Amino acid sequence: MKTRLRDLRGERGWSQADLAERLGVSRQTVNSIETERYEPSLSLAFKIAAVFGQPIEGIFTPETRQA
Amino acid sequence: MLYILSRHLLRLSTMSVRAPRSLNPLLVWGFLLWALSYMGVRIALEAAVGGLGPVRMLLALAPLPFFLMWLVGLIREARGMDELQRRIQFEALGLAFPLTLVLVMTLGLIEDARPLDRANWSFRHVWQLLVLFYVIGLFVARRRYRYEA
Repeated sequence: MKTRLRDLRGERGWSQADLAERLGVSRQTVNSIETERYEPSLSLAFKIAAVFGQPIEGIFTPETRQA
Repeated sequence: MLYILSRHLLRLSTMSVRAPRSLNPLLVWGFLLWALSYMGVRIALEAAVGGLGPVRMLLALAPLPFFLMWLVGLIREARGMDELQRRIQFEALGLAFPLTLVLVMTLGLIEDARPLDRANWSFRHVWQLLVLFYVIGLFVARRRYRYEA
């Protein structure tokens, strides 16, 4: 799954720790989501969307398989 | 030593840069009291204190309430973890449990093939390998989610 989380975070000048604090998760979780090694649960995805004021689809996009 | 190990393992698995929160008192005191009572009971039983029969059995079960305290503390700590930390714990245990199972079952077969020295191969010694396998599992799981720029 692709994510724009790092770009969105950067636009607001937040550190990973800042975002982690707002989401109530560890910085490791934020880092893992941004580096696309971990896909958040639906509830966490909704929290992320609420924090950035965007729909989930605006932040996360599924990886498209090449034919 | 197990207390220190479990405390470090919890910190390792969380890897949070938030200010470290104090550990659940049940976790700390439960472990300390369980470890102390376990050692005390073991010494007492090996010194043949209490004679035979129900007293010895009651002594053997005496550390259990403190273990339950520690268990409740562990469960509360687990509930305080975020979803990635829980996944790391799950992956670590997912490796440790089957490895321990295979080890114990293999030892059982070996014992059928040839008697093992109880002084070295009792359950009292083998369970420590569960801790080792858990640490290995934790290391492997943490590496998957280590910090990257």
